[in-house]
Amino acid sequence: MPMQRTETHAVPLTTETMFPESGGALHMVSDYAIETHRLTKRFSSFTAVDHIDLAVRKGEIYGFLGPNGAGKSTTIRMLCTLLTPSSGSAKVAGYDIARQANEVRKKIGLVSEKLIMYPRLTAFENLMFFGSLYEINQDALRKRTDELLDMVQLTPFKDKLVGGYSSGMRQRVNVIRALLHDPEIIFLDEPTTALDPQSTRFVRDLVKELKGMGHTIVLTTHIMEEADELSDRISIIDHGKIIATDTPQELKNKYKSDNLLEVFLTLTGRELRDSASDRIPMRRVMGRM
Amino acid sequence: MFSELRTFSIALKIARRDLLDLWRAKMLLFAFLLMPLLLMAMFGYMFPTTPKANLAIGSMPTAYPNIPLALVQVDQGSVANAVAYQFVDIAQAQQLFQVSEVTSYQAARDSIVWGTISGIVVIPDGFTAAINAGMQATVQVTVDETNPQIAAVVQAEIATIFGVISSNISTTIMKDTMGNPAFLLEPVSIDQVPLISGPSTTFQFLAPGFMALTVVFGALSGVGFAVSREREQGTMDGLMVSPITRRAIIFGKILSQTVRGLIQAFLILGLAMLLFGVRIYGSPLLMVLTMLLGVASFVGVGIILTAFAPEQETAQMIVILLQFPMMFLSGIIFPVTSLPGWMQWIGKAMPLYYAADALRKVVILNAGLNVIGMDLMILIAYAFITLTAAVPVFERAMTR
Repeated sequence: MPMQRTETHAVPLTTETMFPESGGALHMVSDYAIETHRLTKRFSSFTAVDHIDLAVRKGEIYGFLGPNGAGKSTTIRMLCTLLTPSSGSAKVAGYDIARQANEVRKKIGLVSEKLIMYPRLTAFENLMFFGSLYEINQDALRKRTDELLDMVQLTPFKDKLVGGYSSGMRQRVNVIRALLHDPEIIFLDEPTTALDPQSTRFVRDLVKELKGMGHTIVLTTHIMEEADELSDRISIIDHGKIIATDTPQELKNKYKSDNLLEVFLTLTGRELRDSASDRIPMRRVMGRM
Repeated sequence: MFSELRTFSIALKIARRDLLDLWRAKMLLFAFLLMPLLLMAMFGYMFPTTPKANLAIGSMPTAYPNIPLALVQVDQGSVANAVAYQFVDIAQAQQLFQVSEVTSYQAARDSIVWGTISGIVVIPDGFTAAINAGMQATVQVTVDETNPQIAAVVQAEIATIFGVISSNISTTIMKDTMGNPAFLLEPVSIDQVPLISGPSTTFQFLAPGFMALTVVFGALSGVGFAVSREREQGTMDGLMVSPITRRAIIFGKILSQTVRGLIQAFLILGLAMLLFGVRIYGSPLLMVLTMLLGVASFVGVGIILTAFAPEQETAQMIVILLQFPMMFLSGIIFPVTSLPGWMQWIGKAMPLYYAADALRKVVILNAGLNVIGMDLMILIAYAFITLTAAVPVFERAMTR
């Protein structure tokens, strides 16, 4: 049974800290898909991610929430080996992100905020291109591509340029692109932003299906309802630090609210980020017209 | 070995995708193919083919044919008439000037002010009398000085024509009285032995330079732009998050940009041959090798410069900043020796200088590896240093 924790930010949670006597021999049998130890990223004098300790269990959907600029994307980019940490360490699928980056890359799939696809390629060509970057046999890749396209109901459109797709269709291609090599861990960075309700529902159901198939999912989103519905556990990050980690229900119980948005606002504050301190009342602005 | 093969195979896939992207972007493809055509046409006609005048064989080709010119013949004597006739005859036969006869200097001057002619030749009163009296006669020349380039051409060509006319007059006078006029007029003559068998044209100099320029600029800017564009649109994350080497990404981008550069370079060469009579005297294989080394020598610099650019626009500005001096200082348009000393040093520090120099020697002089060996060695040294630095810089910049 994995350890039950309500707060992870206080104690560095790694196999070394949990089982120091093992001498690191437990890496491969860890219950955690992702472990970070005092992971930090600084950009010049600005600390985007500040000594965070995360422990994402295998097979869970881990909601990673925070206001804009809180450090979510920076953390995910470090875990995906797209950014080099300034200090601290992290293991993804049992591999060190700094020393075993290539092994990490084989085990992860990234659905980033920006769509990873070439608009002047068809969906099929995009998938075949990105799939060919992994060590997958061409026939197997073609079969997998067809299956995934079928799964997201895009087979009839597979030979159309994705530049002509709707946002929902593009996001479906973007999601299955990350699944081509059957990764253990999938990072979903705001996967339903700007999608219509039907596409949003489709993506959310897909995420649940992926969890059902045993994938570990790290999900960032600004939609609290989505985080509440999908996440097994949630971490909230603000100013680069983890300020809470628990199940959605426990967080709501703890902060005496039936609404995750209220919990989030209680923890991170209600004031706008990156804005002037004085707000002109709307009545005054609208009254001028 | 296997990993190197995989790197190469991935690079080929990246290059193929890039080229497919270009093929599908019709507007971009159009501009891509039009660019060498424009470059050729602009420079081809700005610096047109101008073989040296060879009066002995009746050849006096010009870069600026049929320049409008006024002839004001004030003296109506027999010699003045003959000189005016000869002037118009030579000028029009050689397509140097479109001569119109004007009655007064003032009227001709007004025409320059109006911009309808570029120069005036006046045969003044007393011209015939002076010649008949055995004295030197003078013609007056006025040129439109608002255009110094045309003014210089008009002055030079008028001087050439009157050189021919003067010789004719001297020959006539001396023939019966003083022996061999050719010996008396020009005791030492010059016989030009051409370095190459065909006509030596300005474009013969320019075309190889432009080929090198196109390929090297393509590598310098193309790879940088491709990298920064992919970063902006997010697809670079898709490449970086996959288990491929960073060398495969760089090499793939270099490959696609090299193919693009070579297509443009050979378009330039084809058009130069077709429109401006440029001839290739050397080995096409050696040309391709030189251009490939030109690309290799500079692509690392492009990657290093643009790896640190936060977005495509900055990358573009950085590259333009580098391209501008390269274009003028590397001996592509002007020979490096015509530049001030310190500029020559800068020009010779740029690999484009060696690529253009080697390519020119191959194309024009049929130079072999033994002749251009030093140029190629310098390009290889540049390639080794810049590419060795570029791979780690690229990786660090992408994950910083």
